Amino acid sequence: MAAAIETRKLTKTYKSRLAGNVNVVDNLDLVVEEGEIFGFLGPNGAGKTTTIKMLLGIIYPTSGEATVLGREIGDMEVHKVISYLPERPYYYEHMTGMELLKFYASLFGIYDTEKCQRLLEKVNLAGDASKTISQYSKGMQQRVGLAQSLLNDPKLLFLDEPTGGLDPIAHTEIRDLILQFRDEGRTVFISSHELSEVERICDRVAIIHRGKIEAQGRLEELLKGGRIEIIADGVSSDLANSIKSADTTVSFKGGRLVVDMPDSNDPNALLDAIRSGKGNVVSVIPRRKRLEDLFVETVRSGATDGGNL
Amino acid sequence: MRVIWSIAATTVGEAVRRRVLLIILLVGLLLLTIAPALGQLSARQETTVLKGFMLGMIQLTSAVIALVLTVYMIPNEIERRTIYTILSKPVQRWQFLLGKYFGAVLALALMMSLMTAVQLLIFFIQQGEIAMELARAPALFFVQMSLLAAVAIFFSTFVSPLVNFFLSGGIYLVGSVLSPLVDTLAQSRGTTPAAKIGVQVLSTVVPNFSSYNVQNPIINPGQQIQNESWYYTMVTVYGLFYVGILLVAGILIFDRREV
Repeated sequence: MAAAIETRKLTKTYKSRLAGNVNVVDNLDLVVEEGEIFGFLGPNGAGKTTTIKMLLGIIYPTSGEATVLGREIGDMEVHKVISYLPERPYYYEHMTGMELLKFYASLFGIYDTEKCQRLLEKVNLAGDASKTISQYSKGMQQRVGLAQSLLNDPKLLFLDEPTGGLDPIAHTEIRDLILQFRDEGRTVFISSHELSEVERICDRVAIIHRGKIEAQGRLEELLKGGRIEIIADGVSSDLANSIKSADTTVSFKGGRLVVDMPDSNDPNALLDAIRSGKGNVVSVIPRRKRLEDLFVETVRSGATDGGNL
Repeated sequence: MRVIWSIAATTVGEAVRRRVLLIILLVGLLLLTIAPALGQLSARQETTVLKGFMLGMIQLTSAVIALVLTVYMIPNEIERRTIYTILSKPVQRWQFLLGKYFGAVLALALMMSLMTAVQLLIFFIQQGEIAMELARAPALFFVQMSLLAAVAIFFSTFVSPLVNFFLSGGIYLVGSVLSPLVDTLAQSRGTTPAAKIGVQVLSTVVPNFSSYNVQNPIINPGQQIQNESWYYTMVTVYGLFYVGILLVAGILIFDRREV
């Protein structure tokens, strides 16, 4: 699969009077494949928006290279087939939803009122097309933002915190739209720190911290390493002692055994041993690793060795 | 051109809804309506004072509108992040800057046309005649304000709105008095050659805004232009020349600016 976005040692350095040169984005190597939803995660100030701005040609990299849909960043041909929804977008408040779409459409040379109408219907704003943006709620502004981002039938969408500050219903609506974009064959690059949202919809993610990529890969690969908890009664102390190992936690008291082991270990051998020793298995609970765990782990460790998968 | 026009049209739409500009325009219009009373109070010829006062009001109001309209134009787009959505589309920075400038000029044209129409109407009601110089003078003011808007747009690519307001306003004031100052210094025997050169350099760099004040009978009493159409053409070309230089310089700065 071709790369929709590829960066090589992309760096953005700002000069600070107090701290000297600060690498807001530091030797960023990133690959986003076509047709996937890619989550770009990181705490506030990690360099997410700066990276997006560089990819859009709004700010200029200090060093390194990047291509978007196979072309150099800033190439106007690319701008015809990409779109961007900024974080907490602000639109010209005097315009109606329809006027706003017509304005942005005109920047592409598109003069198609029916298309604007269809897009407003797509984001459930057809009934509010004649209201001014100042009368729109935050969720409605976000939806009209998504509508404007679809005017040029983009191959690649950059969405910066698309669900930030929205109520749960608006969240669900935006999420459904993003999934729809993927079904339509578009590549979606989402910058966010709403981890549960990202975990639900993204195919691959990268975690950026202090301008550096700390982890990057498919979600199922990154989230490998879940645990299994086994609780059993009537177990002998000999059995409890025999299963101790470095990555397994064992608690044994009064015949009750509680084992916490990596999900890479086969639990069946232990379950058979418990049963053959006349023990009674109370529960077997698999605990999947969540993106939140990975995120906190990665950011806290601040690993500098990449961790790319 | 379509991109520049789209941005310009949006800029006009936004400008004519900005409360602060509408208030300044309203104050200007109110002052125009009280002009006949001032004319009657004056010891000088009533018609002269009336014309002079009304033209002065249009010029002053237009200058304030031009400054307030343009100094916030680019910084507001950056602060509100509207610029990001626009620049992520196939829009070059120079197209954006030109669109904003032409939008500002169009909004100025609308507001100045309204003031000129009100002024002509008041003069007609008061004096029972249509004074064509009251229409010609605002046409020159319009070129002057377009030049002022270009100065402010140029500075808005790299200074804050407040600094820009005083910088552009200062250049407008200096540019309005520089030409008479150059003449005075040239005729004065006590002027050192260095001072003469300094003022000459300044008068070359700073646009000459005083060329556009010729029709005001209070500022320039008894002044007659021999060939009006030639004069109007020349000062318009002069203004457009400066506007062109300022916009090119602004584009070069804005093109490399991190927004």
